[in-house]
Amino acid sequence: MHDIVDLESRGVPGVFVASSEFARAAEAQAGALGFPSVARVLVPHPIQDRTDDEMRAHADAALDAILAELTDRDRP
Amino acid sequence: MSPAPAPALPDGLAVIVKRDCATCRLVEPVLAELAAAGRLTVLTQDDPAFPASVEHDHDADLAVSWHWAIETVPTVLRIEGGEEVARAEGWMRSRWEALTGVSGLGAGLPEFRPGCGSLSVDPDRVDELRARFSGDRLRSRRVELASAEDEMEALFARGWTDGLPVVPPTPERVLRMLEGTSREPDEVVAVVPPDLVAGTVEKVAVNAVMAGCLPEHLPVVLAALEAACTDEFNVHGVLATTMPVGPVIVVNGPIRRRLGMNSGVNALGQGNRANLAIGRALQLVVRNVGGGRPGEVDRATHGNPGKLSFCFAEDEEGSPWEPLSVSRGAPAGTSTVTLFAGEGPRCVVDQLSRTPESLAGTLASCLRTVHHPKLPLGFDAVLVVGPEHARVFADAGWDRARIVEELHARLQLPGDEIVRGAGGIAEGVPEAFAALTLPKFRPDGILLVHAGGGAGLFSTIIGGWANGDVGSQPVTKEILA
Repeated sequence: MHDIVDLESRGVPGVFVASSEFARAAEAQAGALGFPSVARVLVPHPIQDRTDDEMRAHADAALDAILAELTDRDRP
Repeated sequence: MSPAPAPALPDGLAVIVKRDCATCRLVEPVLAELAAAGRLTVLTQDDPAFPASVEHDHDADLAVSWHWAIETVPTVLRIEGGEEVARAEGWMRSRWEALTGVSGLGAGLPEFRPGCGSLSVDPDRVDELRARFSGDRLRSRRVELASAEDEMEALFARGWTDGLPVVPPTPERVLRMLEGTSREPDEVVAVVPPDLVAGTVEKVAVNAVMAGCLPEHLPVVLAALEAACTDEFNVHGVLATTMPVGPVIVVNGPIRRRLGMNSGVNALGQGNRANLAIGRALQLVVRNVGGGRPGEVDRATHGNPGKLSFCFAEDEEGSPWEPLSVSRGAPAGTSTVTLFAGEGPRCVVDQLSRTPESLAGTLASCLRTVHHPKLPLGFDAVLVVGPEHARVFADAGWDRARIVEELHARLQLPGDEIVRGAGGIAEGVPEAFAALTLPKFRPDGILLVHAGGGAGLFSTIIGGWANGDVGSQPVTKEILA
C-alpha cells in the first residue's frame, strides 16, 4: 500500500493486488495514509500453497479488474 | 519549548524559608541581622505569618521556589543583575558569612544545621508543579474526559490499549517521565510504521507512562524504538507479517542492574517491572503512534503473547562468555538494546549431557526445527542458554564463537532430506537442491544469550522471522541518556 501511494504521488498510476484476507489491512493502511480511494484488486485467498497453474488462473481472472482500475475509474 | 522564565528577584540577598523547617526557625534571628545589613528579600513557602521578625513575601504557589530550583530550605541566594551568582543551603555560619559579606552572623547558634526539603520538591506536589509551570513543553492533544467517565475504561474505549489496563497519561505523569531523558520532548526519535508517523520523545513518553514505565526506563524504550524503526529491523514487516513474531528486546550493559532488570529466574516471564514495562512501551508506541493494530495492518495468523511485551536482560555477571552486545560490535561496558524479530520462546530439555559435544547435538537438533525442519537459511534464532547448560560448555572451555561454530557444523542439512516431498512432506526446498548440503542458519543467524535461573538443565529457543533484506536483521543500539 505504501508503494502504491508512493507511485501515485509520483504520477505513476498503480493498483494494489492482494488476496481477499488482506482487505481489512488494505483499508486500514489506505485510510491512515490519507488515500482511502487507492485502487485495489483483491484476488481469492489462499495464495502461498497454490500451484503455478492456479496462480496463472488467478492472474488471468484478475486482469480485467486491474485494467479497469487503471483505466476506467476516476480517482482524486 | 523552554519553561516560563523565572519570576524576578531583586538584586541583593534572597532567602527562602518555611515555618515547618526547624533550621528555618533557628535562623530567624539571622534574617533580622541580614535585613539590617542591606537589601534582603525573604520568601516563605508555608505559613504567611512566618518569619515574624522580618518583612517577607509568601511564595504561595511556589512559583519562585520552583523556577529558582530551590531544593532545600533555608536557601540563601545572592542576586546580581537579576541573576543568581551564589547559593547556600541549610545553615552553615561560615558559608552564610562568605556569601552575604556579613560577619558575626547568628551568635549563639551552632556552626551547622542541615536544612529541610523545599515544598517545591515535595514528592506529593512536584508533579503538579511541573505540569503547572512547564506543561507548555507538551504538544500532545489534551483529551478531555467527561466527569462521569471512568478514565481507565475511557482508554480501552478509545482503542489505546493492548487489552490490558494502561496508566492514564496525564500531563503530570508525562512530564515526570520526560525527566528520565535529556532529550527534548519535540525531538523525533523515529518515523513509526505502518502509518509513518513522526514519533517524538514526548509521544514515546506518553506511551511509556501508559505501559507502566518509570522515568529511568525511558532511555531504553527510546533506544528500542530507534532500533525497531531502522530499515534493517523493519518493524513494519514484523508487524504486518502473518507469522507470529514481534520485537524481542535483549538488554546488555550496566543499565540492566540500575533498572533491576531480570536476567535470572523466570527471565523471559512475568514479574519484573522493567522487563515488562519496557517491552510493552515499545509495542504501545507501534500501536498508538504508528497505528499498528491487530486485525488491521497487523496480520499475524496467531501472534504470540510476547507481542504484549518481550524484553529481558542478559546475565552477564554469571556468563562464561562475552556479552551478546560485545559479540555484535558494541564496546564492552556500554548499555545496549538488541532487537530481534522473534516468535514465542520454547524450551530445550537436556538433563543428561555432560559433554559439550552431546549438548551441542541436542541444541542443534532442536534448532533444526525452527519453523520447519526442512526449511534452511530463511530464519535466524536466539538461543537463550541457561546457566546449567552454559556450565557444560564453560567446563570444556568452549567460548561463544566455538559454540556457534559447533552448532553450525551440526546444522548442515542434506538436500535430499529437505527437498519438497522428502519424508512424505510437501514443504521443503526445490528439487534442484537435492544434491547440495544447505546450512540451517546463515553464518550470523544464531544469537547466543546467557540468561535464566541457576537450576534447570534447560535452554530456550526463540525462532525468528524471514531474515535478510526481505525480512528483519537483528539490530543493536546503544542506550543514551
